[in-house]
Amino acid sequence: MRREILIGRLIGCISLLTVVSGPAFAQVELGGTYAIRMHEDYIERGPGSFLGDFTGMPLSDEGRAKALRYSSSLPSTIERQCLAQSPWVGLYRPLALRIWSEVDESGRVVAWVMAGDYLRDHVRIWMDGRPHPSANAWHSPSGFTTGHWEGDTLVARTTHVKTAWIRRGVGIPGSDQSTFTVFITRRENLLTIMTVQEDPIYLTEPHVVSRVWEFDPRASQGPLRDTCNVGVEIPSLEDTGEVPHYLPGQNPEEDFMVRIYNIPKEAAMGYAQTLYPEYRKTLRSVYKPPESCGRYCCGWIERQGLPGAAPGLTCNDGNLPPALRKTLTATER
Amino acid sequence: MGRIFSSVIAWDRYAARCANFVLDVTRIAVLGARSAPKRHWRPAKRSAVMSMGGVAWLAFVASLPAIDVAAQTRGARGGTASARADAPIDLTGQWVAIISEDWRWRMITPPKGDIVSIPLSLQGQQSAEAWDPARDEAAGEQCKAYGAPGLMRGPIRMRISWQDDNTLKLETDYGIQTRLLRFGAAAPPGPRSWQGATSAQWIVRGGGGRGAPRYGSLKTITSNLRPGYLRKNGVPYSERALFTEHWDVHSLPNGDKYLVNTNVVEDPVYLQAPFQTAIHYKLERDSSKWDPTPCDARF
Repeated sequence: MRREILIGRLIGCISLLTVVSGPAFAQVELGGTYAIRMHEDYIERGPGSFLGDFTGMPLSDEGRAKALRYSSSLPSTIERQCLAQSPWVGLYRPLALRIWSEVDESGRVVAWVMAGDYLRDHVRIWMDGRPHPSANAWHSPSGFTTGHWEGDTLVARTTHVKTAWIRRGVGIPGSDQSTFTVFITRRENLLTIMTVQEDPIYLTEPHVVSRVWEFDPRASQGPLRDTCNVGVEIPSLEDTGEVPHYLPGQNPEEDFMVRIYNIPKEAAMGYAQTLYPEYRKTLRSVYKPPESCGRYCCGWIERQGLPGAAPGLTCNDGNLPPALRKTLTATER
Repeated sequence: MGRIFSSVIAWDRYAARCANFVLDVTRIAVLGARSAPKRHWRPAKRSAVMSMGGVAWLAFVASLPAIDVAAQTRGARGGTASARADAPIDLTGQWVAIISEDWRWRMITPPKGDIVSIPLSLQGQQSAEAWDPARDEAAGEQCKAYGAPGLMRGPIRMRISWQDDNTLKLETDYGIQTRLLRFGAAAPPGPRSWQGATSAQWIVRGGGGRGAPRYGSLKTITSNLRPGYLRKNGVPYSERALFTEHWDVHSLPNGDKYLVNTNVVEDPVYLQAPFQTAIHYKLERDSSKWDPTPCDARF
């Protein structure tokens, strides 16, 4: 009896000390709006990928075949208008993201919620230790995500996603078997998010993406578009049952990257071996830089304002609309 | 009111008894069995008032985690003798860049004038437009794209090891470059170089005296750089560039490890805003793909 009392008191004391000593690992305040910095994958996140550009992707044969069936008109069909909005697609979007916490009555964070441009629903990262649902449970637009802190990094895991397109405007598919491990680290004003997507259907190895955002207390990039609005975009398709697509081998843009950038087709088609430095041995003998830049050479300048561009430079000559170019040239004179 | 007062008194007594109990336990644990109090712990008979020494001891014990966090966030060397001993993460090993982003700008040399996504100033654009690899070769500057800010974004394998207790050595096969990340006192100023001078500092979280996990990251700042290229096609940075990096190591449940380098290039000459990116690498268990290749101004 005396021993039981002693043990009881010990537990009580430990509990008391736990309360008064505070958390061993203070979590980082993630709440706020973060402005995007499009210093990586600009074309994909800005104007959108070129059709047939699967560079940097470890696609399976199934994934490649499905991506090559993609037509730009496909997202206009009612059934597919939300496919572009997978849970972590924010990493490929051109606008900000916003994060806030949900707390219980004691102030404990139950979930971190992330809203971003073009999400189909908020991504809610449960922090209360709840388990992931059964594999047979419903797959929701935002999937099911749990998280925990490892030092200053919030480590999240997303399952139960829907079939989606995982990159912008190019039809690269992600299956509903995809899982994401996500590392979210805030230090001072910078927020780094790295996602590791595993997909047994459309990928041959994990697809890793890391991005940077900057804390933006003024939320200067405006309201987020975090809903998927469905409507008739191409009237001629309405009620026809027609699904815009290319049959195998008939996608006219399959060799776009070969034509425009002299990139070997193997690299453009997203084979895993092309992601690693040793692939340069293959490239060295076959790649010759194109004579000119081609398209979107100066994305930053186009978006950030005209004063950056100047007469006589490629950026000014190749990308600004003629009217603006004329105005700018006159101003510079 | 009386009930509330009674509750407060009861709580106070219970807390004091707890404190005394913990004092006894921790004294035994820290100082050994010989330090155990001569009397048995009998809560009902012990005083509800702690000694000043007891208060101090309790405060120390209770604040252990807070002390760890507060002290270690200050950074570099903590209380031990070397940065190697203080390391909250293990950066050593061979890491390979996974070129899953900006493939066309990192894996191959893009055409002249392709400056998309880098916030160049007008002067920076003009410099990029004037890129001439033949001129660089003639000047013996074929390593301009292999300076630290450009190199880290390249198609590299890098080996990180401890050169000594306070210096991490970073070697790359691409361009056969070496950079030293120095903890503690700054390196003596020398001539500008492709890899510059890097000062390093651990940012530590967690740990403490109760066996709690220890986490952290590395922050480095590189200056004293020789002018170079952010991109192989002559997108420039100047000798005034400052390169700040945050190094994190993340693990997957299957044991795979990734290194993420979040970095900012600031350059008052050629950039109109900081150039911010995150670059990821994977730890390789097999070092057989290490392939030293000299600088090349064209490919």
